[in-house]
Amino acid sequence: MKRLVLVVSSLLSGCVQTTGGNLVEFHAQASGDPAVVTGGALSFTSPAGFDVTLTRAQLFAGAVYLSGQNPQNYTLEAACIQPGVYGGEVRGAVRVDALSPTPQPFPVAGNGTDARTLGAELWLTGGDVEADVDRTVVLDVAGTATRGADSWPFEGAITISQNRVVPPRNPALPGSNPLCQQRIVAPIPFDATLVEAGTLSLLVDPRAWFASVDFSTLTKVSDAPLLYRFEDSSTSTAQADKALYNGLRSAVGPYRFTLTP
Amino acid sequence: MRGPLAPSLLRVFARLSLALALALGVSARADDVSPPEVLERVDAALPADAPPPLQDHVLLEFTVGTDGRATEILVIESAGAPWDRAATSALARWRFKPARHDGVDVPSRTRLSFTMPAALLAAIDAGPTPPLDAGDAPEAPDAGLTFAVDEGLDAGHPHHEMSTTVLGRGQPKSRGASDFAVEVGELQVVPRRTAADFLKLAPGILLTNEGGEGHPEQIFLRGFDAREGQDLELTVDGVPINELGNLHGNGFADLNFIIPELVENLRVLEGPFDPRQGNFAVAGSADYQLGLPERGVIVKGGYGSFSTARLVALWGPPGETSRTFGGVQLFRTSGFGQNRGAQNAKVAAQYEGQLSERTSFRVGALGYAGNYRSAGLLRADDVASGTADFYGTYDARQGGDSLRAQVHLDLHGHLTSVAWDTTIFFVFRSTRILENFTGFVNDVQLPQQNPHPQRGDLIDRDTSGFTVGARGSARWRTRALGRNQELEVGYFARFDVVDALQVRVETDTNVPYLRDYDLSSKLSDIGAYTDANFSPAWWLTLRGGLRAELLTYNVLDECAAKEVRRPSPSNPPGDESCLSQRDFGKYRDPSERNSTTGAVLMPRATLLVGPFKGVTFSGSVGTGVRSIDPQFITQNLDAPFASILAWEGGAAWGQRLGAHDVTARGVVFGTRVDKDLVFNPQEGRGTIAGSTSRVGALVAARARGGFYDVSGNATWVRSQFDDTGYLVPYVPDLVLRADGALFHALPWLRPLGTPLLGRLGVGVTWVGRRALPYGQRSDVIFVTDVNAEVGWRWLSLGLAVTNLFNAQYRLGEYNYTSDFRTSGSLPTLVPARHFSAGAPAAVMATLAVHLGGEP
Repeated sequence: MKRLVLVVSSLLSGCVQTTGGNLVEFHAQASGDPAVVTGGALSFTSPAGFDVTLTRAQLFAGAVYLSGQNPQNYTLEAACIQPGVYGGEVRGAVRVDALSPTPQPFPVAGNGTDARTLGAELWLTGGDVEADVDRTVVLDVAGTATRGADSWPFEGAITISQNRVVPPRNPALPGSNPLCQQRIVAPIPFDATLVEAGTLSLLVDPRAWFASVDFSTLTKVSDAPLLYRFEDSSTSTAQADKALYNGLRSAVGPYRFTLTP
Repeated sequence: MRGPLAPSLLRVFARLSLALALALGVSARADDVSPPEVLERVDAALPADAPPPLQDHVLLEFTVGTDGRATEILVIESAGAPWDRAATSALARWRFKPARHDGVDVPSRTRLSFTMPAALLAAIDAGPTPPLDAGDAPEAPDAGLTFAVDEGLDAGHPHHEMSTTVLGRGQPKSRGASDFAVEVGELQVVPRRTAADFLKLAPGILLTNEGGEGHPEQIFLRGFDAREGQDLELTVDGVPINELGNLHGNGFADLNFIIPELVENLRVLEGPFDPRQGNFAVAGSADYQLGLPERGVIVKGGYGSFSTARLVALWGPPGETSRTFGGVQLFRTSGFGQNRGAQNAKVAAQYEGQLSERTSFRVGALGYAGNYRSAGLLRADDVASGTADFYGTYDARQGGDSLRAQVHLDLHGHLTSVAWDTTIFFVFRSTRILENFTGFVNDVQLPQQNPHPQRGDLIDRDTSGFTVGARGSARWRTRALGRNQELEVGYFARFDVVDALQVRVETDTNVPYLRDYDLSSKLSDIGAYTDANFSPAWWLTLRGGLRAELLTYNVLDECAAKEVRRPSPSNPPGDESCLSQRDFGKYRDPSERNSTTGAVLMPRATLLVGPFKGVTFSGSVGTGVRSIDPQFITQNLDAPFASILAWEGGAAWGQRLGAHDVTARGVVFGTRVDKDLVFNPQEGRGTIAGSTSRVGALVAARARGGFYDVSGNATWVRSQFDDTGYLVPYVPDLVLRADGALFHALPWLRPLGTPLLGRLGVGVTWVGRRALPYGQRSDVIFVTDVNAEVGWRWLSLGLAVTNLFNAQYRLGEYNYTSDFRTSGSLPTLVPARHFSAGAPAAVMATLAVHLGGEP
């Protein structure tokens, strides 16, 4: 009898008429972080002690995915695509001028659910994140770094292709460092709930890409004019090359997301 | 001068004299069985030039069906062809009140003797007719002379013992207003492609199908998504159809082996209120009773839209019961749209006979083989953008095949106060289903594997198994408090040996790349019950009892180890699905055996109150179980089943209003299940989703008369999760269904003196917007099917149109994540609307020939 009462009362209480949740469509855009950039060249002093003037900073944002997975649960061995965890996606690419605070819209609307997202993924890919070869320039930078009397005019164009293959840490885990993982910046902390017709903004702080860069280790490519270049390869031994690539792929620092209704 | 013996005031007197000799399993108490009674007598016209009868009577044997008609009329002793035809023709138009057994209309076989009056007998005795004198004209027959039956004659012919035999077995006792004993009757004319379609004669049933012509229907009932039978106990004459250990879902049931023309009756009991109901009776149960009321040979050939061809041959030996039959069906179709072709063949044979005066038996065999292609589901956004056609497919490899072979033996007997029965069955089943719900989403890169892209989500499931089992009961009747009281004890046992394999198949190469399951299971389900029928007063009956069920599992998982967290560099597991190592490369056997047992006690009771004639109020409460899938058990896990608690209250009314039979009923019900199943597209099957509750109501009515049979029902239900209160997705909350048949001799047309018989059948289904995941709602379903037939003597021609208004509708709708790579190289990883297309309008013409039976 008690169970019968429980059945009846649980049905009479609450008149929920939904299965819970909702599907939403939203706008998506990207820009330099307006708290940092004002348009034009950006000058800053890096934590490594270099005075940097950035004259070009373009990021190729291939896609954005929003995940309900707790960022603390991310592991290096996690697969690039884990079914069932995504609550939002923007399946289009935009080349972002990170020195401009003007919003640059993604070419497609985003869609997803109103389930709570905890983290975001920025896909640095020209299309197929699992492709063996992708010649898309995902980061294009230029500027000048100085320290004391030394000056390093620089430029750099980064791609993520066979030049970025990372051997597995453990030969027993050959699939632990797939190339697709190099193209996915995650988990970018983003605790939000998508809303219909809301606006998702990717804000880029280009200063964070250079946070650990020792410009003195750059490879000189020209004396007249003086020019240093970031090498586009993970096999480079120059600290600057590794540091910029790591900065580009850092989930905390260069990127943040906001959601406005 | 006496002329030729012409029917000038000839009368043939008949006396229907029925004495009762009960057979086939009922107690020989006169008050339990009532013979048929004559309601309407029709005079017959004697041919004008009939010669004298050869003897003083015509003895006819015939069946009085539950519809009150005389069928399967045989001339046992002839008085000459014209007299036989006249008597037979007259009797065919008589109407009876059927025999009743335990308050239920039952068919009965009886004999009637037309005895000639003295004047006619004198003419016989007088010898040959003398020649006419010249100039004498023979007496012309009176226009419109008929046979008539006089009242108050002496009983029967002195040489014949009249007897009536009640046919068939006693039907189960009603468990209240949700117990639907559906006699198909004239509603047979409503278009029904498969045996599953007959379920729609019971309220609240919606059938969908994402798998195509040979794939079993997905059944929704009373707020349950019973999938392909996981929440509905399905049997055919007591032989279980639900399969244990099928990877598509434990309880998977394929009704496609049943030839629709052989469905004579269907009992749908909504809710677990009968102690006879066993495993999977969560939403309820349905028992198909096979039979062929028409006797003779029937051959039907049909051809229609999408190159659909169907050939059916049925045989009902005259003089045998409707439960004796043979049948075969061949079918093929190209299907509508893309990738929906199918072909199958079915055979069925059964014989019902008497071992002795008190014991009858049925022995039968059924066989089925089918192969089909399937279109699967489509994304709504792809159809909207024109990337996919509404009736298209993403993966043409989808489909399946199915085999079933069944042999059964049924014994039924009765002693003075005990009726008993036993059924033994042997079933072999094999099912292979290939489905791709998600495209390229589920092939997760494991660290131990060599790097690979998404290889494709086509699931290939193959399950085959052998079932042996038995069920039986003994029912004892006694008198107490001046009324019959009954107690029944019964048992059920089935033993299954099942092999099940599920792999994923690579899109580019069609090579299996991953093994999900590889199981060898030994399963058993043993139940025992007691059921009492206690009636302290004429208006009050309490029925119910207790059922105990024991479920055992012994499952060998041949692929128990699929991942290693800390693999050894010197012994990397690689891409193998079933590993023979554990952490740090230590060896382990790939297989693992798990066994467990669960037992449950299930009380069930129904109270019937009938203080007013024709009206019965009922209240029922009961519990039930659904066993879980073998792949989900762990060693010694207790209670490997879901538990159900259900209740209902209802009222049923039935009345004969003149020449019309009308029934109506209304029910309010509720159910709670602790481990519900919800469709999981990643798995391609239902998976356990927590406890849910339902409350709802239904109304149903049926009216039958001399030229019509109409039935309608409506069911509303609200299903929700107990923890959140959210609606359970996919189940319809409002289902309306109407079936109607009209039948009558067509006016004006009487080729060779025989009228054309016209029949028209209409079926209408309306389903409200179903709740979908993520707060969405599906489209409405509204479909009308029509069938028109014209019959003349042994020939009939029919034309059926399904989906008469050619509605383009979504039969099943879902919200989930898939990526079929139809819109760029970036994957789609968030939920989107998917659907299976309902069939467009289709036409089917059928020609049938019926030889050797009743016209």
